[in-house]
Amino acid sequence: MDPAADAFAPPAAGWTPVSSRLATARRITLALAYVVVAAAGVVLAWTPLPRGWLIGYAVAALSILVWAWWVIGRRVRSFGFAERDDDLLVVSGVLIRRLVIVPYGRMQMVDLRAGPLDRRLGIATVQLHTAAATTDAAIPGLLPADAAALRDRLAARGEERTSGL
Amino acid sequence: MTQPRRTNPLSPLVQAAPALPAVALFLIGPGAGVVERSGVPLAVLVVAGAVLGYAVFVGVAWLAWWRRTFWIDADGDLRLDSGLLQRSARRLQLSRLQSVDIVSPFVARLAGLVEVRVEVAGAGDSRILLRYLTRAEADELRGHILELARREGEAESAQPDRGGLADPPGPAEVLAAVPAGRLVAGLLLRSVTAGMLIATVLLLVVTAFTQGPAGILLALVTGGLPILSVVTEFLANYGFRIARVREGLRIQRGLLSTQSRTIPPDRVHALSIISPLLWRRWDWVRVSVTIAGVEDDDVRPDVLIPVAPRAQALRLIAEVLPDVDVDALAFVSAPAPARWRSPLAWRLLACAITPQVIATRSGRLTRRTSLAPHARVQSVRVTQGPWERSLGLASLHADVAPGPVSLTARHLAEGQVRPLAQEETDLMRRARLLR
Repeated sequence: MDPAADAFAPPAAGWTPVSSRLATARRITLALAYVVVAAAGVVLAWTPLPRGWLIGYAVAALSILVWAWWVIGRRVRSFGFAERDDDLLVVSGVLIRRLVIVPYGRMQMVDLRAGPLDRRLGIATVQLHTAAATTDAAIPGLLPADAAALRDRLAARGEERTSGL
Repeated sequence: MTQPRRTNPLSPLVQAAPALPAVALFLIGPGAGVVERSGVPLAVLVVAGAVLGYAVFVGVAWLAWWRRTFWIDADGDLRLDSGLLQRSARRLQLSRLQSVDIVSPFVARLAGLVEVRVEVAGAGDSRILLRYLTRAEADELRGHILELARREGEAESAQPDRGGLADPPGPAEVLAAVPAGRLVAGLLLRSVTAGMLIATVLLLVVTAFTQGPAGILLALVTGGLPILSVVTEFLANYGFRIARVREGLRIQRGLLSTQSRTIPPDRVHALSIISPLLWRRWDWVRVSVTIAGVEDDDVRPDVLIPVAPRAQALRLIAEVLPDVDVDALAFVSAPAPARWRSPLAWRLLACAITPQVIATRSGRLTRRTSLAPHARVQSVRVTQGPWERSLGLASLHADVAPGPVSLTARHLAEGQVRPLAQEETDLMRRARLLR
């Protein structure tokens, strides 16, 4: 496709990707969900159903696992952000693609979040809030030091831009 | 005003009134047992019990009333001390005043009383409700608060020119009123309501032939819901009047309880001009607005006019968004491939960006044109689903404060969306810097 027509083209400085540890975190969550799937398979083996059912179940479960594994990789690679002079750009999504542009002057609050698994793997999420509930600008999978630095930079720029009112 | 004082002494009677039917209902159940044993008529028991129960509630409300005082202190803050056991002292800085409203709920109106709501800018619970005052007291208090707020506001911001705020109070100039007949017709002909009513009629005709009870039950739902919503909306918007006053636009409406609310023009974050299919032969429209402020406020206005001829509605819009000509917006329309994604509405889907506002258009049965000044847009989003991608389309969203209005221009040509998003971002930044 003609690059000018791509609505999700990167800005001049390019997209900053997020850490591949985010994919690890999501795959661990997926694996935990698959403990339940495996348990259901064991129960199925105990029932007097024909063998064919069990094989069908295992094939379906495994192919979904492989597909989800692959999708997580693509989804994590789809995340990117760019700090421009006056605004922040966040891009994400494979099937449904999203691009959010938030001018620094509109930011009301910048959050830094990390769940227990995130902390163990060493990643964090930076979330931006504006007066609109629909803004939805979160950057997951940042290294903690990068995340803290990004949050401080964003907060400082936000203050700079709003104090000049 | 500077001395602490109580609200009107009749207030406890009004505040305890909602307990009356509850007490009566509560008594009917256990009361029936007593009637069997003692032979006292049920009606006597219920009335006597309700009066007694009401008296208890009035007693509690009276104690709370006794302990509740309000005044304006030397710093020009509105203070409210209240609470029976747990005392609370609330203080509103009037220099940050957003609105003073006089509401008259049904029961209070019977006692000739009104409620005054004072709201200031700020997160969370930043308002004081004074229940209840006489109309004259309320008007006096309101005038006093507005006067104080204006003086402090002027002292704080070094902007002497705040529109017409410095003018002496003039009579309210009525800009539009909605006749009851037009209101009923408009409510009945809204797309969803009309659709459900037609479905009900069809259902009844079919049921008449098949004689099944299920159809009747379904008809009760499909017919009952829209009628319920028409009645509620009618009660709420009866006698709708919008007038220009010093502080902005004043809306008065309501049959059982009258609401009076002022919209300061600079707090309008976004608005939608909505025209359902069946309104178009009279060229009627409805205008929804998003006003920033307290989120869970039951009297926050979300309608600028419930139903009015388009020309009149546009004059009202000019009051809140001056320098915007809604009919002269240069729309960028969705391209022909959008017909495969949205076969009915694709011709209308569009986006326009002017030096003052961003506008989006959508809808087929119910057309909707939404506008937001650049200074009020919080962020810009571009989205693209798989189907849009295969057609070379993408959607543009402008995020505004929570409310009835959302701005989405769906299925535009992919090549046009990013430049539009960039243009909007630049205008947003400049609009905010100018303020």
